[in-house]
Amino acid sequence: MMYDRKPLVLAAIAALALGVAGAALAQSGGAVAAALANGSVGEQSDGYLGFRGSPSEGLKAEVEAINIKRRAAYTQLAAQRGVTVKDVAATVGCETLQTRVQAGRAYLLPDGVWRTKGADPITLPAYCGN
Amino acid sequence: MTDGRSDANPVGMKKAALLLVTLTAALAAGCVQIQAPDKPIEINLNVNIKQEVVLSLKKDAADLVTNNPELFPQ
Repeated sequence: MMYDRKPLVLAAIAALALGVAGAALAQSGGAVAAALANGSVGEQSDGYLGFRGSPSEGLKAEVEAINIKRRAAYTQLAAQRGVTVKDVAATVGCETLQTRVQAGRAYLLPDGVWRTKGADPITLPAYCGN
Repeated sequence: MTDGRSDANPVGMKKAALLLVTLTAALAAGCVQIQAPDKPIEINLNVNIKQEVVLSLKKDAADLVTNNPELFPQ
């Protein structure tokens, strides 16, 4: 009887461990990664992350925290180069759309339409250059 | 003679007509036709980013992304 139960107990422990690991991952920004993977969050051409649809409170807070940090980094670079924050943000937007967005992920162009990246590269806004 | 003349005239007229048609066609092809758009012209004010500014910042932007991976989760 004891011998029969052992695998069940082990499986329960493994499941518990996985659950804890999953929760820990979600706490350290894993929720954003998961949302990016399922397309509910995506990169925007304006250099920030955005929501495709309405996010949960927790996800919204995490994405907004990232966007605030991004804005801080853009502001710093803009001051160094003597350009506007918007110019820096848009350039980063070109960069992320070109190099960071993977196939199957959502992205937003200046036309305000969310699209899902396919096998082809994203058609970048004209100001991105080629 | 009169028959010959009346025959010669239509040939000349045909040539002239052909020339006229060719000329008209050439003129029409060379014409730039401007048509007023039926929709109002929309100017998207959100896209006022200059390409040269973007190009000058391109390397900085790429560095910013690679140096701050926590701000650019994948």
